[in-house]
Amino acid sequence: MSDAFDPVEFELLKNALFGIADEMALTICRTTYSGVLRDNMDFSTAIADADGKMVAQGLTLPGHLGSVPTALDVVVERFAGDIAPGDVFIMNDPFEGGMHLPDIFVFKPVFAGDERVAFACTVCHHGDVGGRVPGSNASDSTEIYQEGVRIPPLKLHDRGRRNETLIALLERNVRIPVQLMGDLRAQLAACHICETQLAELVDRHGPAKLRRYMTEIIDYAERLTRAAIAELPDGEFRFDDWIDDDGIDVDRPIPLVCTIRKRGDRLQVDWTGSSEQVKGAINSTLSFTKSHSYAAVRCVLPGDIPSNEGVFRAIEVIAPPGTITNMVLPGACAARGLTGFRMGDCALGALAMMVPERVCAASDGGNTGVSIGGWTRERKPFIYVDFACGTWGGRPWADGLEGNANLFANMASQSIEVTESEHPLEILRYEFLPDRAGAGRFRGGAPYVREYRFLEHEGVLQVRSDRRRFRPYGLYGGGPGRPSANYLVRDGEPRPMPTKFIHDIRHGDVFRHELAGGGGWGDPLEREPERVLADVRNDLLSAALARADYGVVLTADETAVDATGTAGLRARMRAARAGQAPAVAWDDAPQAAE
Amino acid sequence: MKGLRIGVDIGGTFTDIVLLDDDGRVLTRKVPSTPDDYARGIVDGLAALFAASGVGPGEVEEVLHATTVASNAILERKGARVGLVGTEGFRDVLEIRSLRMPRLYDIAWEKPPPLVERRLRVTVDERIDARGNVRRALERADAERAIDRLVAEGVDVIAVCLINAFANPEHERLIEAVARERAPGIPCTTSHDVLPEIKEYERTSTTVINAYVMPVVAHYLASLRRELDRGGLGVPLLLMQSNGGLLPAEEAARHPAHIIESGPAAGVVGAQVLAARLGLPDVVTFDMGGTTAKASLVEGGAFTRSQDYQVGGGIMRGSRLLTGSGYLLRVPAIDLAEVGAGGGSIVSVDAGGSLQVGPESAGAVPGPVCYGRGGDRATVTDANVVLGYLNPEFLVGGELTLDADASARAIAAQVAEPLGIDVAHAAYGAHQVAAATMMRAIRAVSSERGRDPRRYALFAFGGNGPLFAATMARGLGMRRIVVPPGPGLFSAFGLLYAEVEHHYSRSLLRLVATCDPSELEAAWAELERRAHAQLTAEGFPPERQELLRSAHLHYKGQSYELEVPAPSGTIDAAALAAIEDAFGREHERTYGHRAGREEPVELVHLGLLARGRAERPRTPAGMLAAGADGSRPRAARSAYFGPELGWLETTVVGRAALTTVHPGPCIVEEYDATCLVPPGARAVLDDASNIVIELD
Repeated sequence: MSDAFDPVEFELLKNALFGIADEMALTICRTTYSGVLRDNMDFSTAIADADGKMVAQGLTLPGHLGSVPTALDVVVERFAGDIAPGDVFIMNDPFEGGMHLPDIFVFKPVFAGDERVAFACTVCHHGDVGGRVPGSNASDSTEIYQEGVRIPPLKLHDRGRRNETLIALLERNVRIPVQLMGDLRAQLAACHICETQLAELVDRHGPAKLRRYMTEIIDYAERLTRAAIAELPDGEFRFDDWIDDDGIDVDRPIPLVCTIRKRGDRLQVDWTGSSEQVKGAINSTLSFTKSHSYAAVRCVLPGDIPSNEGVFRAIEVIAPPGTITNMVLPGACAARGLTGFRMGDCALGALAMMVPERVCAASDGGNTGVSIGGWTRERKPFIYVDFACGTWGGRPWADGLEGNANLFANMASQSIEVTESEHPLEILRYEFLPDRAGAGRFRGGAPYVREYRFLEHEGVLQVRSDRRRFRPYGLYGGGPGRPSANYLVRDGEPRPMPTKFIHDIRHGDVFRHELAGGGGWGDPLEREPERVLADVRNDLLSAALARADYGVVLTADETAVDATGTAGLRARMRAARAGQAPAVAWDDAPQAAE
Repeated sequence: MKGLRIGVDIGGTFTDIVLLDDDGRVLTRKVPSTPDDYARGIVDGLAALFAASGVGPGEVEEVLHATTVASNAILERKGARVGLVGTEGFRDVLEIRSLRMPRLYDIAWEKPPPLVERRLRVTVDERIDARGNVRRALERADAERAIDRLVAEGVDVIAVCLINAFANPEHERLIEAVARERAPGIPCTTSHDVLPEIKEYERTSTTVINAYVMPVVAHYLASLRRELDRGGLGVPLLLMQSNGGLLPAEEAARHPAHIIESGPAAGVVGAQVLAARLGLPDVVTFDMGGTTAKASLVEGGAFTRSQDYQVGGGIMRGSRLLTGSGYLLRVPAIDLAEVGAGGGSIVSVDAGGSLQVGPESAGAVPGPVCYGRGGDRATVTDANVVLGYLNPEFLVGGELTLDADASARAIAAQVAEPLGIDVAHAAYGAHQVAAATMMRAIRAVSSERGRDPRRYALFAFGGNGPLFAATMARGLGMRRIVVPPGPGLFSAFGLLYAEVEHHYSRSLLRLVATCDPSELEAAWAELERRAHAQLTAEGFPPERQELLRSAHLHYKGQSYELEVPAPSGTIDAAALAAIEDAFGREHERTYGHRAGREEPVELVHLGLLARGRAERPRTPAGMLAAGADGSRPRAARSAYFGPELGWLETTVVGRAALTTVHPGPCIVEEYDATCLVPPGARAVLDDASNIVIELD
């Protein structure tokens, strides 16, 4: 066999490996039992080389980029010399390579004869892994021990034999064992697909060539990443943002500080200065912090770079232990998704300082998590987990998207009709709210409201939201989005609720969540009056706010722009301004909170 | 009277017309499309064909038609001004979609704008629950207010989709009645009629698409009808549906959502019937043109259907993971996977030093470099010219002259030099990478569904299909290729093979273990009653009506269903057990595992396929394909087959020469396509003038 690098073979193998990773993801998507997996695509698939270096990741959850390597490294190290054909590894421990307990990793080594050529990798967010709250995602847990079953790196299959002891133990410690086992089966099916298809590649190309080109694919991604980084401006760019609170110390804002240092073809994302680890369950692990750092940087790089180890080599992530970005025992982390989204937004903020023309203003802050669970009168468990998001910040060239998944979690919403047929719930409202988007030459996206009426006799409602006190920031003259809101309506009486809470609910209670509006980008007085009119005619903006935020005056019947009135009002508003707008616009100066 | 049958396939550039007489004689004609009034091009083309063949319009029995008019209305956003009535609290179902976007890490992503803007989306105060109970009754006055508002906005069509209307259509019916009364000139389409299935976004989107293309399609069909009548062709006009069945024009005007993918479907139908006649029940169809390639699966003599797809989403690179690129349409359609690779796809080297093919395309204008029409970027066709696969001097029977040197210069400068390899190797690489990209489409319909492509024959057509078929087959381990006559206008042929078909469905969520068999039977009986009425109205006597039941099921909690056939007649416990078992087997076949007995299987939809069979076989057993170019002199040229084999002297023949077995390397040149038979392969004609290629 020739040792010369062949660009044609390279491209063919690259396509084949990424095709397999995608096919693994499809398998999980189609066979899973949980809404979180099928609709939110809260899972990832990947192929790693024989040493555990990630070669190809399937297209699923953007915020999972780079989550696999940390976990796989632990397995490869711990089981060195004891990895055999027929083995399957399982783990979820956040303190040993995992992310949070619901994310269960399943790895299968792939062999050609006696020679290990690859690992099939999957990680799935499971609907429930035990712990004190249905769904295992409470934001008010304060120790990992409350959050569910903790699985260190173990063999789920040992040389083809199922580890019945482990399975029995798992089944006894989760609320809906049939669902957990079904989803583990989906993960195994994905590993099986990977194994079969890699065998075909080995047949065609031989193990040596496969190994060689796996290394080349990683190097290739590194070259592309470094070439793209080299084109970004050098310098140090810092951004500060705040999470409202951790749900325990409700008056204490939580600072996130991201400093991006860039020189030549190297880029560093440094989280030093971010909050100490918090009591509530929103602490991030190092792997999760890395994932969101990579994902944010990816947003300003060209789209066609393969997602693998090569990307990670070019981007260094610093997260001091003991902080919210790299927790230590006994930190709780079940609801750390919130922190991931916000780290993503914070890193994008730093990138907006670096390349203002390429980055959007703040989104709604990522998924609001809503879990409703309990037991029916027949003592059957039910768990409904929903995630709501959908609002982007304004962009330097266009309005923020509305009704579109977050950049860091490309989830799908669950059908209302399916929800109502499967769960003791009625959805009363799911539509955009007017007058909430941050004003700007390119406005933020309009948020939506979602209302859930509970139809079982009693249950527990658990909510994880944010962006109320610290609203989605606007950029370069754009205003911040309006805050999120929670209400519990009982007996017709709407009661405001905190951003994060657990509450007993009973038949007929209605929970209402309003997402935060996206931040605006650029000076609202520069927005074309016709676009302002279009928003008014589409009931997304009131005539009053068209006037107050945009200086646009409409005719009395609100069907046309009063051009003279608008010109006059805008001139007066400009004259009344004191100096240049700041690069970042908050509601009130967040510094005051410190 | 002779029973002439005519198939007409309208594409963006050409209209292909195929005429078949009772003796199996086939005449073909390719004429330029006339987008300002497509009907004119058709009628003119037919007139020319009649003049050339000596037959007259009086001998024609029916006209079968595939058209892009509906999909173009969506792609070009030139559909109707639609008003949408929804449930209060859910004004934005259409626009929020499923949230998901087709791209990751892309701040520049733009959602396709909704087909109905927000001010034309109105709501009424009503609510029906998931079981069909009315929780909040709709007041007539409220429906009147909604209709009046849309009328005042000057809408062309009214679409109605209410939450849970699949379970109880009573409120949608009331709104429809009010619309008829207060706006008699405005057509109204309701979701329970278009798609009585669960999932509000899918149903809303489908109903809206139906409304959006309705006036365009109705106008087009009326105009075509008029022109045909004027030309003495007062015969039935049948439209190809996306699902591979024919639909009378009147019905197509009411449910135009069914004819969106009409052209590609016709090709698959043709492949299915021809393959069956060859005794090949299992084939993968492969249709490659200038900008895209499409694959689909025929299994056990039947094509496979998908339940939904995205219209106008642009070309995906074979990924079915990321959806949301276009407009979701949930009607049964032949399951086609499409990738952005064709003859015009651009070949380039990216910043990381990797060879890329597509999805960017030079299209027909400026086209490949060798066309000499201003194209300066190397394309797949240029690579094929460099390799000697395409005639270096001309294509399309001499109508298009080629500049092979220009191709070689472009491949050298844009591909070979950046990669540091020679020109032939670079061109060969482009050919291989294009084939690999297209293999993803084939995998999407085979291995991603648990089917091993090696068990299937490859049925190749389209202008470029026969050129790539052997490379693809080899890459996938497939052994046999079939290239039908007239591969370049095969979709028009396909029309001649289709039967009239209607699809009915209804959501019924029941656990199979605990459901009441008589309820299922009643639900199927109701669908069958509608199907009978429809087919009878179309003139099919009972003995030519064929009704096939199917069930769509999943394990409770899953969100994708698998479709399995269901028994006709009485539904009892045994029938349910058979359905459940068929589902388990299908799940195992598709995903490699099935759950144990303890896991509940849930029925989601009931389906019914109603077919009206023609009085006699629609096509004679043997067709004498015109276009088999027998007069072509035998020639030879040098072609490149990779670094190991290098340049080989390659025979160039016409199709008719293949009455004897020709081993590769060999090239078959025809008017509308070129077929490559590489070394290690043998080609021969079968009785029906198909080229059959066997690979070692």
